[in-house]
Parts: sequence; C-alpha cells; structure tokens
Amino acid sequence: MDILIQQLLNGLSIASVITLIAVGVTLIFGLTGIINFAHGEFLMVGSIVTWLAVQAGLGFLPALVLAVLAVGVMGFVLERGLFQFTLTRPTNGFIVSLGLIVVLQHIVIFFYDPNQKSIPRPLAGIWDVAGVRIASVRVMVILVTIAVVAMTFVMVTRSRYGRALRAAVDDRDTAALMGIPVRRYVTGVFVLGSALAGLGGALLIALFPITPFTGGTMVMKGFAVALIGGLGNLTGAVVAGLILGIVEGFSAGYGFSEWTDAYSFALMILVLLLRPNGLFGGTSGPKMA
Amino acid sequence: MNAILEIKGLKKQFGGVAALSGIDLSIEEGEILGIVGPNGSGKTTLFNVITGVHKPTEGQVSWRGRDITSLAAHEVSGAGIGYTFQQAMAFPGLSVRENVQIACEHARRSSRSYPWTTPSALLDFVGLTALSDEQAGILPFGSLRLLGIALALATRPSLILLDEPAAGLNDRETATLVGLVKQFPAYGISVCVIDHDMKLMQMLCKRLVVLDFGSKIADGLTQAVLTDPKVLEVYLGGAL
Amino acid sequence: MYNSLSPIRSLIPVLVVLIVLALVPAMGPSNRMLSLAISAGINIVALYGLSVLFGQTGILSMGHAALVGVGAYAAALLARDTGIGFWLALPLGGVFAAIAAAIIGIPSLRVSGHHFVIMTFAFGQLLTIVLTNGGDYTGAATGLDLQLPVNFFGARADDLMPYYFVVLAFVTLSAVASWAIINSSYGRTLRAIRENEKLAASLGINVGRQKIGAFVVSGVFAGISGVLLAYFLRHISPSQFTSFPSIYLALMVMIGGARLLLGPIAGGILVAFLPEVLNLDPVESRILYGVCLIAVILLLPNGLIAGAIDGWQKLTRSSTRKHPGTQAANAEHASEAGR
Repeated sequence: MDILIQQLLNGLSIASVITLIAVGVTLIFGLTGIINFAHGEFLMVGSIVTWLAVQAGLGFLPALVLAVLAVGVMGFVLERGLFQFTLTRPTNGFIVSLGLIVVLQHIVIFFYDPNQKSIPRPLAGIWDVAGVRIASVRVMVILVTIAVVAMTFVMVTRSRYGRALRAAVDDRDTAALMGIPVRRYVTGVFVLGSALAGLGGALLIALFPITPFTGGTMVMKGFAVALIGGLGNLTGAVVAGLILGIVEGFSAGYGFSEWTDAYSFALMILVLLLRPNGLFGGTSGPKMA
Repeated sequence: MNAILEIKGLKKQFGGVAALSGIDLSIEEGEILGIVGPNGSGKTTLFNVITGVHKPTEGQVSWRGRDITSLAAHEVSGAGIGYTFQQAMAFPGLSVRENVQIACEHARRSSRSYPWTTPSALLDFVGLTALSDEQAGILPFGSLRLLGIALALATRPSLILLDEPAAGLNDRETATLVGLVKQFPAYGISVCVIDHDMKLMQMLCKRLVVLDFGSKIADGLTQAVLTDPKVLEVYLGGAL
Repeated sequence: MYNSLSPIRSLIPVLVVLIVLALVPAMGPSNRMLSLAISAGINIVALYGLSVLFGQTGILSMGHAALVGVGAYAAALLARDTGIGFWLALPLGGVFAAIAAAIIGIPSLRVSGHHFVIMTFAFGQLLTIVLTNGGDYTGAATGLDLQLPVNFFGARADDLMPYYFVVLAFVTLSAVASWAIINSSYGRTLRAIRENEKLAASLGINVGRQKIGAFVVSGVFAGISGVLLAYFLRHISPSQFTSFPSIYLALMVMIGGARLLLGPIAGGILVAFLPEVLNLDPVESRILYGVCLIAVILLLPNGLIAGAIDGWQKLTRSSTRKHPGTQAANAEHASEAGR
C-alpha cells in the first residue's frame, strides 16, 4: 500500500509536468491551430536553463523564474520569427516544429554534452505520513502545477483577455472585426504556452536528471494528454493529465513499469478512434475564413 | 414519364434544427427539374443527403427503384448520379486535361452510349479545349464552372445534380451554361438544378419544386409555381 | 508540381543520374564514401515509398521509420529462426511492412489532418516500445544481430563494393516503380485525392480505401529498405526506428522534393553527403538538417530541386505565360498533407 501511494505520487508529479505541457499545447492549438511538436524541447530548454543557473550558484527559485522567462522569450522569438508565417497553413507549422526539434536538441548537445544533467534536490525533506515516505519535492511540483494551472484557467475563463481569446478561437475574422488584436493574442498565447513549458522543465529537473532528448518523450505524452482531453479544451487537458498520472502511478506500483510509456500512446490512439474530439470535446483548431 | 429519383419523407435534424422536415419529391426521366428556395430552406442539405454526405434522420431516397439512402459519396457516383458543387471544385494543381482524365478513368461502366467518353470530347463539349494544358487552379471562374460540368459528365451519369451552377457567373457565362445544360436530356441525362435564382430557373426548368424552412411548399410547372401566392409570399413578401 | 513532360522524358534525368552513380565505384572511392553511399541508397528506397504517400497522395506520416524497422526486424528474425536469407527476406520484409502499414493506416485514416500525423507518430513510438519489451525474442533494447551472408549467384555480395551495386539496383527498381505509379491512372487517382478529396469522391473514387492502399504501397518500399538496412548494418536495435528517424526521412523527402522523380535521390544524397562536404560532425550536421527543413518549408515548399528549377526558369525567362501561376499556385498547396 505504501509503495502504491509512493508510486501514485510519483505518477502524479510526472503527470504535473506533462499537464503543463498539455495545457500549453492545447491553448496554442486551440487558438492558432499550430501543432508545435518542439514544445517538448521548450521544456528541455527550461530544464537546461535551470541547471545552468543552479550551476552558477543561483537558488532553485530564482533559477525557476529565469527558466520561465527564458523559455517565454524563446517562444516569443520563435513565434514572431517562424510560426507566424505558418498560421494560414498549420501543417507547415507542424513540419517547421519538427525541424525545430532537431535544431534545439542538437544546439544543446553542441554547447553542452548529450549526457544527463541534474541539480541537487531543491527540497530534500522526506515526510513520514502514517508510515508512508513522501518526498516533499514531489508534493511541491504537484502544488505548483495546480496553482499555475488554476491561475491559467481563471485567466482564460474569467478575464477580459480570456474572453477575447475564446472569441478569437470561435471566429477569428469576427473577433478581428471587433477590434480584438488577434495577432497579438496569438503571440501572447504562444508565449504563455512556452512559459508553462519552461516552468515544467524547471520542475522536471527538480525531480529527475534530464538529457537533451528528454523533451522528445515528454512531448508525446503531453500531446497525448491534450488530445485525450480534447485539443483546445483546457479542462480536458487537466483531467486527462490527472488520469494519466494515476494510471502510470498504478502501473509502476504494480510492476509494469516497462510498459508505462505505452499507456499514453495506446490510450491516445483509442480515444482518437472512438472520440476524435477527445473525452471532453476539443476544438478542431481555429476557424479560418 | 417515369420517376427515376424518388424522395419520400426525408427528414434531417442537426441537433435541434430541422433542416429538412419531411420532403417528398420525384425527378422524372428526361426532365430538367428546379429546386428553389431562399437561403436556409434546406436546398443544400437536400443535395448533401442525396449525394451521401449526410445520412437522413428519416426517409428514403430511391434511384430507379433501388434504395440509395445510405450510399457513400463515391457510390452515389457509381450508381449513375453525377453532381457539381456550390463552390466550383477542381483539382487545382493538375492540368485541365488531367482533371477530366481522372474523371473519365473512374467513370462507371454504362451500357448506354455517351457522346463524350474521352477527355478531348468532353473538353470540346464544354468549350475548354483551348485551356486543356492550363493548371486548373488558375482558371477564371467561369471556366472553372464549365470544368465542373465536364467532370460530372465524365462519370456517365443518368442524372446530374447541379448545386447553384451559375453562382458567380455573369450573364454571358450563364447563357453558355444554360445552353449546355439544356442539351442533357437529349442525351438521356436528366437534370436537377438547385438554386435560388428565379431568373435562371425560368430559363432552364419546366418544373419547379419550392422549399421553405425544410418543407415543400409548391411543386408544379414553372409558370404555375411562379404565380402561386404561397411562393410569392416566401420570396417577395407578397404579390408580384 | 505541374509536369508537362511526357512520361518517358521524365524518366531520363533519373536514368542518367543512376548511370552516373553506377560509375562511381570506378573512380576509386574510399570505404567511408561507399558506406555513406550505401546508407544513402537504403534511405532512398524508403524515400520513394514516402514520395508515393506524401508526394502523390498528400499524406504526411511520421511512422515511416517504424515500417522500415518492421522490414529490418523481419529480416533479422527470419534469418535467425528460419534460415531464410537475403533474397527471400526482401519480398517478405516488404509484405510484413505492408501489413504493418495496413494496421497503422486503417485506424489512423479515420481521423483527419493533424490527428492523423500524431497517430502515426504514436504508432511509431509504440512499435519501439513493443520491440524493446519483446525480451529475448526481439532482442529487447540491445537488438538483434544478423549473421547470414548475402550471396549472388554463388559469390559473396556483402562486401562494400558489391553491396553498393545491390543497393543501387534496388534504388533503380524503386525509381522505376515510382515512375510507373506516377504516370499511371493509379498515380492520377492518388493525386486527385491529394488535390481535392471531396471532388475525388464525387467522381467515384473510394478515398478511404485508396488512402490505405497508398499507405500499404509506401510500406512495401519501407520494408525492402529495412531488409537492405539490416543486412548492411548487421545489427539492428529499436532505437533506430523510433518516430524521430521518421522526421529525418520526412526531411529528406521534402528537401529533395516529394513530387519529383529525382526528389528522393536528391534528398538522400544531399543529406548524406552535405556534412561530408562541409566537414561537419554529426551534431552540427543535424542542426543543419533542422534549419534546412525549416527553410525549405517556409521558402521552397516544393523542395530544393524544384526551387532550383523555378529559380533557373525565372533567370532564363523560359517560364512563359504557359505556367503563369505555377510558383504561387504550387506554394499554395504544396505542403498540404493528411487532410
């Protein structure tokens, strides 16, 4: 039982990172139709920046902030410099993102090496709760994710910005006619999604060592979660992330860890076949004239 | 004259909206039937149901006595019903000739003899021979419409459905189109034109069916229908 | 790509290139060059499959490397468990990969566009996981060795030089097969689907079935490529066939031009030899690949060769009013895939 709870927590903490990816992916896709497969590499860059900062002597928290900012800026630059030219043809955006994966991964390898990088645990405490050993760092990851996702959720559903965003998703042309600066919102969402990935990266390296290739595996799961929840559906992404975390936790807890990775893929394939719009109904991307 | 296409009690719901609320109509062999109605009357939905894009909620479509209600789009063509779309459709990256060639290569086997079985003959008939080697994607709109007709003819249909075939055409182009379509019955091809342009319908069709909000409100000879007070109400808000 | 050449004429440049390639061994290349050339050739066979799927039908798949893997593993397993060697493994590898393609294709083609691409990506990853977890049967993460020799009419054919010719022969076969497909009514049907699915269906084309068919055809090429690969490397492992190598394959076919008959050859050779020419190490060359892919998609959607041809035509003004809208119209729909 204790192992189970531990594994569940493991699963949930990883799922938190994946959910951060999924939320970013789903927001970006919902508004722009862009499928940015390099999103996992954004995560990886976040981890690397955190690692560099910690190596340079900064504490975890400042490093995390730095990571979020750095990846946010990177997202801004990439959107303005690359992705904005693919808005009318999202498939091209996807292919561009594939090229980006290769470039980002290997730039990192070029400057640093392809080996594992890790940082000392930012929270070393291990709590003993009713006989179960819980690593406090895992709890932190989960809590931070909940907080950030909740903030994002509130912002998207309640604020003026969020409403305008959803109007732009529904009908880009009309939104533009109403004075909503759609292009700027597109950039904004991209930056937000990237920042979330950066945060995820910082949190991830707090949990495990990462390599320049970590982004690749994580992004597939992130997309799987986003798709299962329904692309463009924020709530869906969160719930699907939760489900995946629990499933993976259970699987590891009961000893099927080699197949853990397969669940997200298999589940995603199933969902796509039976309910292509995801469990909670996603958008099919922005409607273009 | 016998009916080759029969529609009985056709209903189509989209969520809470009834696009078609029980349509009965038939297309007689050798005629040019017009189906008119204002926007939102269900014309396009009717077209989509017949051509297999949507399945009706209720009702039946029979073609020469055979139930074709649940046929897929490519099977409808194979049954002998050719159709053109509201938005002029072509294979943009391919040449005009290649477009027609593809249509010819997938034409159904028919025991009847058609005068146009080769791409050249078809292009000649619609008057596009000069543009044979042009890329379809850069054709002027009027030519695109003619290409659409050629493609539908290539499938060796016994019935052609035309959805707003003259939309976007000027008067001269419309006259050319009308001239072409009027020849079809002589070649054994019945025609059904779906449109909201009354002028076009007067030129082409001897019989009209009028739809409004998913129901049929008139069905008869063109002149009679055009003076039907119900129709005038719907179209012009009162007597002419 | 609007091609006004008559069918035979379009085959000539390719034949010329192939003849030149056949003469390469006479120029005394180093072992390293030959090795690179063989790798390139093996990729090119797979690329011809991808050009049928992507170039002709417009379906972008990220599962192609997985299909190559099926062929490779089929070869290794057949050799180990049944003693079936190279020449029989080739068609069998093609068949197994074709079956795998049908298995991937049938569910994947129920979903559209972006969902589809992601599905193929997921299937690719799934295959890797299955292979890794296959225990002793599939060699798990370490993979399998291939020990059978390749014999041709009694003589050993798996030294570099003879194997080069074997691979070149298959490249030739692939090119000719691709040419036959492109210029047949089958190729026209695939192009119709690529250009306008709805219209294609209205003309009697069973779009769903044809798409699966295209997938299966691409699988045959991939499977054969996989067998060639297995007998070249003599050792295969799951990590070689994840979805990421699929990215490199897509990259190669796009750089060379997915719709041109020379495209796969150009893409394969360029990607294999550019780093050599520029003296880049593997990491640097991959950065170059990524940048090239991005540049090609944004600037030259029809691939480098087509871009070069267009550029040349503009320079010499041989592009008359016959094809006034070619460049623009092509750029419009050049990279639409998997609708």
